[in-house]
Amino acid sequence: MAFIEVDAVSKGFWIPTLRRETVREHLLGLLERRQFQRLQVLDAISFEVRRGEALGIMGRNGCGKSTLLKILCGVYLPDQGRVSARAAMTPVLDLGVGWNPELDAVDNVMLIGSVMGLTLDEIRRGLDEILAFAELERFANMKLKHYSSGMSQRLGYAVAFKAVREVLVLDEIFAVGDAGFRARCEQRFRELRASGHTAIIVSHDPRVIAAFCDRALLLDGGRVALEGTAGTIADRYVATLTQPVRDAPEAPRPS
Amino acid sequence: MVLAADAPSAPAPRRGRALQHAGLIWTLVRTDFKTRYHGTLGGFVWALLKPMSMFIVLMGVFSFLFASDPTYKLNLIVGLFLWDFFAEGTKSGLTSLQAKGYLLTKARVPPWILVVTSIANALITLVVFALVIGIFLVATGHAPTVAGVVAFGAYCLALVAIVVGFALGSSVLFLRYRDLNQFWEVALQAGFFIAPIVYPLGILPERFHFYLYIWPPTPVIEFSRAALVAGVLPTLRGDAYLLLDSLCCLIAGAVIFSRLSPRAAEYL
Repeated sequence: MAFIEVDAVSKGFWIPTLRRETVREHLLGLLERRQFQRLQVLDAISFEVRRGEALGIMGRNGCGKSTLLKILCGVYLPDQGRVSARAAMTPVLDLGVGWNPELDAVDNVMLIGSVMGLTLDEIRRGLDEILAFAELERFANMKLKHYSSGMSQRLGYAVAFKAVREVLVLDEIFAVGDAGFRARCEQRFRELRASGHTAIIVSHDPRVIAAFCDRALLLDGGRVALEGTAGTIADRYVATLTQPVRDAPEAPRPS
Repeated sequence: MVLAADAPSAPAPRRGRALQHAGLIWTLVRTDFKTRYHGTLGGFVWALLKPMSMFIVLMGVFSFLFASDPTYKLNLIVGLFLWDFFAEGTKSGLTSLQAKGYLLTKARVPPWILVVTSIANALITLVVFALVIGIFLVATGHAPTVAGVVAFGAYCLALVAIVVGFALGSSVLFLRYRDLNQFWEVALQAGFFIAPIVYPLGILPERFHFYLYIWPPTPVIEFSRAALVAGVLPTLRGDAYLLLDSLCCLIAGAVIFSRLSPRAAEYL
């Protein structure tokens, strides 16, 4: 049985020729006709994710990867179609989202840990572990505004990896930190997989998809252009950077 | 150092979700408090100086005009502090989703939590002011009755319901109309004089009272004054009106919020 089922999900946005965001603009523009252009970001996308599987999603900029992740995580509602998830998801769509620069690392870990769905007790128990993973024990009481961007990102990784429930949803976040820290993050990811976690990873990096995913999708123009093993899709993605992906064969439907 | 590789946990049951939400609410309130008041009691006391100084200025100016009313100062302090909660709570509630929008677009946070917690600081201030009012009343020989204190608590709850209702409705509308806060600032300036804060309602002809009572803070202020200062409980009809008023505000806000909040992230 599929763990996560995405069934004919479509999502589009009406883009006005003239954006009106205030009451004043709406009143002054009453007599001025606006035209809207439909931007269809996702067009009847269907796929499944099985328990314990790591699914990669690749595609050029604007093909709908991030919108798809937001729908999977419940941030956006689909216009049509349905997402059925039989598991709790931990979205890591941006590292350190919501950091408060006026607070120290401990308070920020409490804040972001809560946002990511941890209880206060879980955060308190894991606090030392999180700070140690980020190598920030000595700076635990320093305000984040004094942190370098690398320190903030390390803390972001540490909290995100501690907060994982059943499904980890990652949007292009293996690309930060120095080589040593990146290796530790990759190691942590492998441990999570080994302990049975499911993962959905969006990345432009063919190495990441090939190394960490079992299967992958290649998106183009809001559709699944190709579905296959991670290595195949990573190679195909590299090829599409020099040729249109529409030449690719029709995507097989998930069994 | 390697993080412990926990096994996947089952979907959070209802109790687990409630614990997560309680933790999130507590953390948001705590961090907001720490940020706003620099994490010190001194910072909090400093923030109380604004409404206190406003009270002293207004008392200095208007107590001459209403010198014949021996309870004017007491009525002023009750009205002013209730108004301060209404103004601060609605202002921060209105912009709450936009201010914490990054949490809606990047994480899975129930939006109502962001709205409700944005009012917490105004609520903490109201509780402190309620103590100040109590001390002021006792010090001036107008110690309220137990029934008066209970009634005042109920009126404060009604005001909280009104503010929460407004915050829920306006927070999602603000994402679509980004100048609503400017309109609300103007409305608050007018509303300060529509509500009988610096003047006794009795100086106006009775035929206007009905219209002034439509403005939600008016019945809360008037009834609180009656219960605390005059020691008279309003009629049952008056209480029923306030209950209906606050429920209408809360339900209207909740309905607007439930309709518009599912797509709030798309407007950020």
